[in-house]
Parts: sequence; structure tokens; C-alpha cells
Amino acid sequence: MLELKNIWKTYDTTPALAGVDLKVRQGETVVIMGPSGCGKSTLIRCINRLTEPDMGDILVNGDSVLGLSQAELMAFRRKVGFVFQQFHLIGRLTVLENVMFHLVLAGFDRGWAEAQAAAALAKVGLSHVHERKPDELSGGQQQRVAIARALAAGPELMLWDEPTASLDPILVGEVLEVMEDLVRTTQTTMVIVTHEVSFALRVAHRIVLMDQGQIVEEGPPEVIFKAPVSEIGLKYKKLLVS
Amino acid sequence: MLSFFRDGFYKDFIVLLTLTILLGTGFSAGIAWALDAYFGDTLSDMIGEYGQYDIILHIQEASKEAAFRELERIRDQHFPGARLSETITIAGQANFFFGLPEELRTKEVMANLAAYFAAVPGLNSHTIISDPSILIRSVHGSVFDELAAQIEQLPGVKFAFADVGNMIVILEDPARSKELETEIRKLLAEYQLVELRFPMGFEVDTAQVGEEAIRLLEKELPGRKYRNVTAAQYGEDLDAFLKTLVEMRDFLLSYASKVHITADPGVYLIVGEQIAIQAQSIRPLEEGGILTDDNVVIEITAVSGSEAEGMIIRGEIAPAMESLEQTGFRIFSDGQIAKPIGQVVVENERYRLAYAIDESLRLLEELEVLSVQANDAVQNADAVLNTFQEALLQLEVLQVQMRQLNEGITGKGASASSEQLLVTLLVNGLFQSLAQAAVQAGEDSLGSLENLDVAAMRASLDQISQQIANVQSIDVQAIINQIQYVRDTLPMLGDEEIGRSIRLINTYIAGQVIPGERIQIMVEDGQVDEEQVEKLLRSSLDNPYLNIYSTSVGVINPDARSEIFRLLTEVRAIIAGLLAIVFTGAILILDHATVFSTLKYLRRVSRARTSRWQRVLNPVLFLGALLGAVVLAAVYRLSGAQIPYLSHGTIALIGAAVGWLVAKFAERFSPVNVKEFTAGQALGLSNVQIMREIVIPGSRPGLMNLLNRWKQQF
Repeated sequence: MLELKNIWKTYDTTPALAGVDLKVRQGETVVIMGPSGCGKSTLIRCINRLTEPDMGDILVNGDSVLGLSQAELMAFRRKVGFVFQQFHLIGRLTVLENVMFHLVLAGFDRGWAEAQAAAALAKVGLSHVHERKPDELSGGQQQRVAIARALAAGPELMLWDEPTASLDPILVGEVLEVMEDLVRTTQTTMVIVTHEVSFALRVAHRIVLMDQGQIVEEGPPEVIFKAPVSEIGLKYKKLLVS
Repeated sequence: MLSFFRDGFYKDFIVLLTLTILLGTGFSAGIAWALDAYFGDTLSDMIGEYGQYDIILHIQEASKEAAFRELERIRDQHFPGARLSETITIAGQANFFFGLPEELRTKEVMANLAAYFAAVPGLNSHTIISDPSILIRSVHGSVFDELAAQIEQLPGVKFAFADVGNMIVILEDPARSKELETEIRKLLAEYQLVELRFPMGFEVDTAQVGEEAIRLLEKELPGRKYRNVTAAQYGEDLDAFLKTLVEMRDFLLSYASKVHITADPGVYLIVGEQIAIQAQSIRPLEEGGILTDDNVVIEITAVSGSEAEGMIIRGEIAPAMESLEQTGFRIFSDGQIAKPIGQVVVENERYRLAYAIDESLRLLEELEVLSVQANDAVQNADAVLNTFQEALLQLEVLQVQMRQLNEGITGKGASASSEQLLVTLLVNGLFQSLAQAAVQAGEDSLGSLENLDVAAMRASLDQISQQIANVQSIDVQAIINQIQYVRDTLPMLGDEEIGRSIRLINTYIAGQVIPGERIQIMVEDGQVDEEQVEKLLRSSLDNPYLNIYSTSVGVINPDARSEIFRLLTEVRAIIAGLLAIVFTGAILILDHATVFSTLKYLRRVSRARTSRWQRVLNPVLFLGALLGAVVLAAVYRLSGAQIPYLSHGTIALIGAAVGWLVAKFAERFSPVNVKEFTAGQALGLSNVQIMREIVIPGSRPGLMNLLNRWKQQF
């Protein structure tokens, strides 16, 4: 479904991505792991062109994303759910509006959009906070709203950029629980960037390890964590054992 | 960057830009108009409505009650129906408006209007404010009537009249004011007043030289009409004043003590230099010493070789007939005495004059007494002469008798008696010799007495008597009184006061063109070149110091009211200009900074690697400059703004600078919420949707925010 070919991205003189190749199959859940600054977030942002790669190509169902026109890119993005590390909710809108507004702006009927939003919120366990503003919610709840927003349009591809990284440890569980539930109950292709090793072990079909802008190792979690070949893999194995 | 606008936001942006310009125009012009209206109303209260009044009378504040009563009387008596009102009092001067009824606004009334008010108590001056009118200042008297007649021929002109050297042209319609101004300027341009100024002290027969100059001009610069219009004009008073000053200076110079300096060999004196002499001080001057109040300071006024003249500018010399001769010393500015320069002789002319007058008075008093005594002497001489004449007659009788007696003695009487004969014999014997001697001597003396011209002597005495009488008829006492009066009225000035006065007069007249003789020539039907005329007349009249000045015969000035309202209009235009700049800055910060910061963010994320040139030539900054220039130039022009010395091009440059700065610091004025923006992108929103739903609602309140509400869905 998704294929990244020789993706390069450099910030000033520092390469963030150095020739990344990756293929993700339909319905597959791929977890990307690696130390901070290894290029995970850049890679996932390149997929929907929130960050423009300097070189390479990204194919989705065989079509190049980098060659899309502005209108095509918008249409593509509407099929891709993106969950940010810091929620990125619209502060002035209510929870329900945050979840439904892009549907309305995409041209869907307002009533339908509202129903979709309500359903998405129910799916993440937030039916009771429709009229609240994001700043009235906890971090975990805000991230769940962000997840509901990403889910509301029924995406074909979900991109998760360290969704629990900015949460208190006690709130991480509720988000991971929602994510795990989604992975298990939907057939949506997911690419998840996270540091949650046990979560990755539980939900990932494949784990991709990155270091210094390159994929250093990839494979099923049981392989990666049991017999890693890379230095990063060894560190994760040690972490998992401990 | 263009793709950002192409997405649909360009429509919003064009609407915003258009409304920005319109709003800015309304804002700038509106506030300026409001201020204009406010001040205009205030001024109308102060100086009356247009055409409401004809004259402002400036009255001393202390007299305003009396003046008002008199003005009421004049109104009731001469101008029934006229409007009279008091306006503000400024700096001790009250001001009254007087407006004539329409039917009284005639040339005859207007020309004499000021005269009606001449006797108003406390009247300082007046200002004619009739509207609509054109004021022509300083119209030359020689062309006034001619010019007035020509102006009155112009369509739209009611009449023209004189007001203290100016001409006021009353119009029929204020709308034609500009057009008529142009016409009047053309008429004025047909005249040129050429003035020939001769240096001070240069006596000129103005009529003769004027005619000579005209003859030369007609010959050398033909094609124009020349007239000698030399006459008392506006500069006459000043001329007279300056001439008086010069005369006064000369009088003071002659009245001041005369100072003559003979410099020692090797000493060079210069005009303006100050030297000191001992004067009445008991201590002689010494080099290195300090001047005292008794010393005299002299300023050198003229130098010729080793000789110099000067005047006392500090201190006094003793009153004496004799010259004061002392050694002069140079002095430093701090009063210290420097080296000796030579001998200084000071003659006290005032004392000499006073002494001469006193002696004259004494002489006159003596003369009066002398005439009385002379008269007495003549009368005595006359009496002596009478006595002498009588004595002479008696002598003649005696001579006859003696002759007869002598004849008797000598016997020439033959028929005498015996007694007679006896007496005759006795006497004859005794006196014969005596009588003969006496007769002989008497005849000789008498002959010489008879030779005296008594009549001539009497005539001389009469003449002397007559001359004495003439002298006595002179009213010597009156002469004495007058000379005494002159003596008493001689200026009680000391040398120091005279010196200072002369210096002051010199200082004053040095800064002035002391008018000498001048000739004014009116040039009609064309202009002449000043320099050309100067060159021609200097050589032809053989006077290299002759100066030529060329002036207009009148200058059109806006009337006081128009001037005030013109100033108000200028102020309004300046305020509008300043407001346009402020508005442009504000609107760029409040609205457009949001767009700039969004564009800069998009540029940053889309092109992480940019060259140095790309960073310098940031198109967003150019867009800011362009927008600033367009908005300010448009608002400035549409609002009718006009800041002195700033052209429209300069204004556009200012707008560009403001826009560039706002774009440069856009993130500080209106930062983009990157998280929300990115969320919008990730959710597949177009740029215009992101702007409408995310960026603009979260930006500073402004016109863009307001307009966005119509399209904002959430």
C-alpha cells in the first residue's frame, strides 16, 4: 500500500533522513522505533508531505504522493489520519467541533459529520465531553480527541507520531489502550512512531528500527526483540528484558 | 507563495485589500474632515461666516464698551440693518465684526467704510473681510486708478476700491475667484516698476534724471511704455526716518568733543580701535595699569596716515576752552592699559559753544546800555551845537558893533556933540589900539568859526541819532531771551552718551539701505530685465553706484479669511496624510502581518534549505513592501492627503518601508499557531480553509478577522 523509496531529507547541513526505503502492506501495523533525533518523525511527516522530502519518492497504492497537485494532496491527506505528539487541537473549538470540522470543510453534510464525530468520540471513550474546550481536558483526553479526529473520516492510513510522548506516565495507558483497541478492531494500515516497547511488541506486525536517518533493522517484533542484529535492537531487547 | 493565494485566498485578500484602502480613506479623510469641521466651526464663531461681515475693527480692550456704543450709533445712523457683533479679545485687543446689508455694499460705501469708523474710541486698526474678494497688496499709486478700471472691466468683478495702499476687488461669485485671480495676475504682469536708487548723499534732480533714464530706455529697450512715476510712496516714512537719523548722527558728531590723534612713529591706528587717555584722573596712565572711571576711552573713527580722528565713547573731559592734550594708550578688552600710541588732543566743542552763547548774551546786554548812553551823548552834542550857534550869532552882532565903534573912533562921524566927542576922544585914545586889535582878531576868529559847517554837523548828529534810535528799536531783550532759550535747550549730553548714541545709530543704519534719491519708472506693455537696465543706466548716467530694483505694482494675496481656511485645509490634508501612514501601519500589523507570518511559515517548511540570497530576497518581504506602498499610496491619494515636501512617490516609498518592516517582524506582531496550522494541513484542509478556520480566527482582531466571519464555518 505504502512504499518509500530512497527518501532523503536534510535540515540545513544535518541529514535527517538518508535514503530510507520502506514498504507497508495494506492493513499492516508498522511500528517505527529508534533514539530521539534518528528521523522517525521526519519520516512519518514526509508520508503526507507535512515535511517535503528533498529526494526520493513515496508511493501510495502505486501513486506518487510527491507528484500530487495541491487539490490531490488535500484529498490524499483526508484519507490519512495523523495523530501528533502534542495533540494539535484547535483551541477555540469544542471537542465535537474539533472532531467534525474537517469533515464539514471537506464538504460533508454537517449532520452526518456530527454523527461521525460523535461515533469517533464514543470509540475513544469521550462521549461526555462534546462541548468542552480542549484546554478543559487532561492530556490523555486531548490525545484521545485527536485520535477521534483522525478516525472520524475513516482513514485508509493512520500515522501516529509518538502519541504518548508528551503525556504523563499515568495517562499514557489510556491512550495506548485506545490505540491497541483500534489496531485490533480495524483493518486500517498504521504506521506508528513510538518509544513504547511493550506496546510495540503487542500490536506491531513489523518493527522498523532507525538510527541516524537510516533503517538499521526491521522485522516482526518477536524477531527484532529476541535476536536483534543492530546496536539499537540490542538496546531495545535489553530494555524489554529489564 | 503564489500557490497560497491561488488556492482561493486571493479573493479574500483582494476584498481585504480593497476594503482596507476604502476604510483607510474613510478613516483618514473622515477624522481630518471632522477636525477640519470642528476648527472651521470654531473659526466661524471667531471670524464669522463667509460673507457675513465686511470689516473687523480692532479696538483697545479698555475702550471696547465705549467703542461698542459708538459702533451702535454709527450703525443706526449710517448703516441701518447692519450686523454688529463682538468676537474674541486677544492680547488686549477687542475685535468687532461689522457687516453691511447687501444694498449698502457699494463701491462708494466700501471705499469709505474705514473712514466711518475713524473716530471710534480706542480704534487701533481695521481689516476688510468682505467676501467674495481678492486682495491686491501694495498697489502703486501711479497705476491704482488705471488698474482698478481695468479690473472692474473683468466679468465677475463688482468693483474695486482702495484700502490703506491695497486694492480690494469685490467679486460677484466666489466660484470665479481662482479664474479672476489669474486674470488679475495677467493685468499686473503688464506693469513693472523699475526703481533707480542712488547712494546716500547723492543729490539728484529726479525729474531731469528720470526723463533722461526714460529717454535712454526708450532708445535702447524700445517696444514698451515708460513713465516717470517718482512720488512719495510707501517707503517715504522710512526714508525720512533714516535721513533724520543720519542728520542726527552728524549733529551729534559736531556737538561731540573733537578728538585728534597724532600717532607716534611706527604706530599704526585702525578705525574702530579704542584708546584711552588720562582725562580728569589724578593718576597718569601707565602701561599694564587698569582704566578707572575718570579715564576717557576714545574710539577711532577715521585714520589718515599718522593722523586719526575719534570720538569719546566712555568718560568725560573737563569743561574748558583750552584743548586737552594727553598721551593716548591702547587698551585691551579687559580694561588693561597697553602701549602708548601718541598724542591725543581733545577739544570740548560743547563747552566752547556754551561759552560763546554766554558771551553773546553779555554783549547784547552791554549793547542795550550802550545805545542808551549813545543817545544821551548825541542829545548833549546837539545842545552844544545850539549853544555854539547862538554864541556865533552874538559874536557876529558884537563884531558889527565893534566895527561901528571902530569907525566912530576913527572919525568918520563929523556931526557929533561935544560930549560925544569927548568920550570918543577918551575912548579913542584908550581903546584905539585895543579896538583895532580886537576887530582885527575878531574878524579873523569869526571868519574861521563861520567857516564851520554847522548844518553838516547837525545832519551827522541827526543820522547818528537815527541809527541809535534804530538800535534802540531792536528788541534786544527778545534776542537775549531766545539765545537764553537756545542755551537752555542745548542737549544735556555727555561725550559718553553722544558716543554711544552715534555708535547705536551707525549700527542701525549699517543694517539698512539708507535711501538716497530714487526714481521710479513705470514700465507698461512688457517687462525689462533688471540687470540689463542697471548696466545701461550705470554707464549712461555715469554712476557706478546706481542700483536698479524691479518690483510688481501689486501682489495678489489671499484675504485673511481665505488664508485661515486655506491653512485649515492644509492642516486637514496633513492630518489626513499622517493618519494614512498610521492607518497603514496599524492595518498591516493587525491584518496583513498574519498573512505575512503564514507565508513565511509555509516558505520555511516547504524549503528547509535556502541560499543566502534567497533569505535576503525573501519574496514575503517584497510582498510586504508592495502592499504597504499600494495601501498607503491609495489611501493617501483617495483621502486627499498632502504632507508638505512629500511627493506621492515618497509616500509610496514610506508605505513600502512600513510594509517591509511589518513583513520582516510579522511573527512578532501575529505569530502563526504552528500546531493548529499543521493539524489543518494534516486534515486535508486547503490553504484558504486553514486561513479562514484556523489562522485568521486566532489572529489579532482586525478588518480581516471581521470580514472572515462571513465565511467562517466554525
